[in-house]
Amino acid sequence: MDQSQNTGAKGHRRTRSAAKATRPRSSTKGPLDADDAPLTSPLSPQVQQRIMPSSSGMVPRVGSPAGVRTPGRSSPAPRSAAHSPAAAPRRSMQPASRHKDFSYLLRPEIYHPLTPLNVPPPFRNPSKPPLPETPIPDLIARGQFRAAAAAATLALTTTTDPADYARIFDLLYTRLACLTLIDGGLALAAQEVKALEDLNSDFYFDPETGAHLVPWDLRVLDVRLQMVGFGDARRAVMSYYDLAREARVHLANATASHDNSARELWKSRLAEIGIKVAGALVDMDDLPGAAAHLSSLKDRSTAANGSSSLNMAKALLWLHLGDVDAARQSLHDSAGEVTQKVVSALCDMADGDYPAALTKWGDLREETPEDEMVGVNMAVCLFYVGRMQEGKQILENMVDAGQSSHTLLFNLTTMYELCTERSRTLKLQLAEKVADMKETPSGWEKANADFKL
Amino acid sequence: MSHQRYPSHDAVKEPHSVSLKVLRLSRPSLVTQYPIPPPPPSLSPPSNDLSRTQSPLPASLAYTPSASAPSTNPDSFILSPILNLPPSFGSAYVGETFSCTLCANHDVPPPPDGPVGPRKTIRDVRIEAEMKTPTSATVTKLTLTSDAPSPTMDLEPGETLQKVVNFDLKEEGNHVLAVTVSYYEATDVSGRTRTFRKLYQFICRASIIVRHKPGLLPPKRIKRIKGGMGRRWVLEAQLENCSEDAMRLDRVVLDTEPGLTCTDCNYWETNKGGDKPVLHPGEVEQVCFVVEEREEEEVQVQEQEDGRIILGVLGIGWRGEMGNRGFLSTGKLGTRHGGKGGITG
Repeated sequence: MDQSQNTGAKGHRRTRSAAKATRPRSSTKGPLDADDAPLTSPLSPQVQQRIMPSSSGMVPRVGSPAGVRTPGRSSPAPRSAAHSPAAAPRRSMQPASRHKDFSYLLRPEIYHPLTPLNVPPPFRNPSKPPLPETPIPDLIARGQFRAAAAAATLALTTTTDPADYARIFDLLYTRLACLTLIDGGLALAAQEVKALEDLNSDFYFDPETGAHLVPWDLRVLDVRLQMVGFGDARRAVMSYYDLAREARVHLANATASHDNSARELWKSRLAEIGIKVAGALVDMDDLPGAAAHLSSLKDRSTAANGSSSLNMAKALLWLHLGDVDAARQSLHDSAGEVTQKVVSALCDMADGDYPAALTKWGDLREETPEDEMVGVNMAVCLFYVGRMQEGKQILENMVDAGQSSHTLLFNLTTMYELCTERSRTLKLQLAEKVADMKETPSGWEKANADFKL
Repeated sequence: MSHQRYPSHDAVKEPHSVSLKVLRLSRPSLVTQYPIPPPPPSLSPPSNDLSRTQSPLPASLAYTPSASAPSTNPDSFILSPILNLPPSFGSAYVGETFSCTLCANHDVPPPPDGPVGPRKTIRDVRIEAEMKTPTSATVTKLTLTSDAPSPTMDLEPGETLQKVVNFDLKEEGNHVLAVTVSYYEATDVSGRTRTFRKLYQFICRASIIVRHKPGLLPPKRIKRIKGGMGRRWVLEAQLENCSEDAMRLDRVVLDTEPGLTCTDCNYWETNKGGDKPVLHPGEVEQVCFVVEEREEEEVQVQEQEDGRIILGVLGIGWRGEMGNRGFLSTGKLGTRHGGKGGITG
């Protein structure tokens, strides 16, 4: 093979294929795929090589996010051994990562203009417009995600060095993450993420250390955006499994080298991927599968007050599935009193016993008067028993107190629609009130859909 | 749910001071969330974020839990415990309870351009609701409920009288919910009773299709009578979810005719603790019961004139999203395979 072809030209070739926005290579391996092609391996052999010295033949499975083993992948050692003769010379021929050319991520045509089409008027002419030179972290802290997404693109397309991959990926993550938080931005983000193509390709690995150049958070976000872009949740489940496998390898390494902070980090990442798999299964409507998966997870996240968020996740999933008994059951072994009461009230509502639920929400509201969920759910419950006036009052007081989640606004505008023929005026007044609120990291801009406009 | 306003019963052309708004009360739904970690705090140095603690960006959560109850939101999971009111009418299915809220509002008109009209007082607001089903010739009067502590029927401007109605859907086809609102409208000098009526039409569809197949089993020896043989049948049924939502079968029971007894062969009923089947739209679950003549009873199994034997009625209960209940029972399921005679001795 000609050496020059294999070095600098690689990035450019990728650039051209990126414009077509083709579907990234699937991580599955068919019977016809040659086993000795290193690129077809879902977990790039470099990672396995780097982390799995030939002596260790087993991957410890700690905090398994998955009860299922993929055939042929559970013990990477033989594979990496098989790949090493082929992969090693390739690595030595590649340029160091700091010389890689990422200019294909800096082309302005990848990034869509952000026009606030579906945003109520009060949010289009903000009284406190962010100055153009506001740093991105400040914009995010103020919940100005549209401005932050635009600023990230501006930085990417004008002032970023094509070789400075760390900055490029951080800006790209900022761009994509902020897009998912604004109305209509998710579809755009799913388009824009295609510029990255296949994150498992050799190109994204440091040829010397074998480390993945792309930050973990961006890789995790990439999975979800790919799922949205291709409408393929199954693929997301597989990609999460790939990440989990890699996290396990890192975890084993950290354990072996007694690096406690790295161990905790990879443990928490592994646990998080486990929950994400359940989320992807919910997204593809496989609720029994998600339930089975959640019950296969080990509970490691025990909060200070003794309640666990994994049990809460299980209870919510059972409720969503309509299995109220299982939801009640799943909270028996967790100690968090507030959490238990919340689930119990939700179960009463699922059983259609709204008066009983209302009593519980009332108690909870006295205990945690500032909790947005308790307030909203109590208002919803009041509505179901025919006491909308009181429910509306609660929601309005919460808006006055500065709370403005999408759910709160949606429920309040639904009540506005029911209590007058002329709800539009009330909705616009609400939009103005919310636009005048203090800017917080919870997000400032709201969409028409939030006010049912 | 489409609706139309009936011509008002009184001859006055003036717009009504009371408006009626309705919303179908399906179960509220858990709000989904897609938590994402915040972008790196500093965008200049390369982020080798081993030390960064991962707490999701508040804006990516359905709500931010208060500090006193932080564990209520499982903040990396897709479902959160905060509830959304039903966004739309959705689909109505046989076997479900149709629940709907009716709101009569004293709507304050926008400030008129012309001379200000006389101030109106609204008193004695009454709501009545009826349901017209596809096959019955008469309408069903619905009971209106409200838990409001002191329901007043006199509405100040901007006030609402809210009621809730429930109706068990049993038939496929067009249903019409008719709501009549009457009130006494008084000005300083005069007063009158006004009435209007609104119709809301919706279609109720089948949720489960049941196909059954009876079969004859070899007769069973009966201890009570020497050499006695009791007849046995197997009743199989396929339950197809023909709705657009997933449903979780809760209970499938065969209510047998007198003189018959049945054994449940379905794993989730017999083996307690087994997961109940979840049917996605279009999916089918097969159930099976073994029916046999009772040994101890003197009641004879009734045979129809055409030789058919009625085995029983199949009752199917299910739960949908957020526990929404449904229940329906089939007609009488029977078989022509009568077998020979009754219990013979």
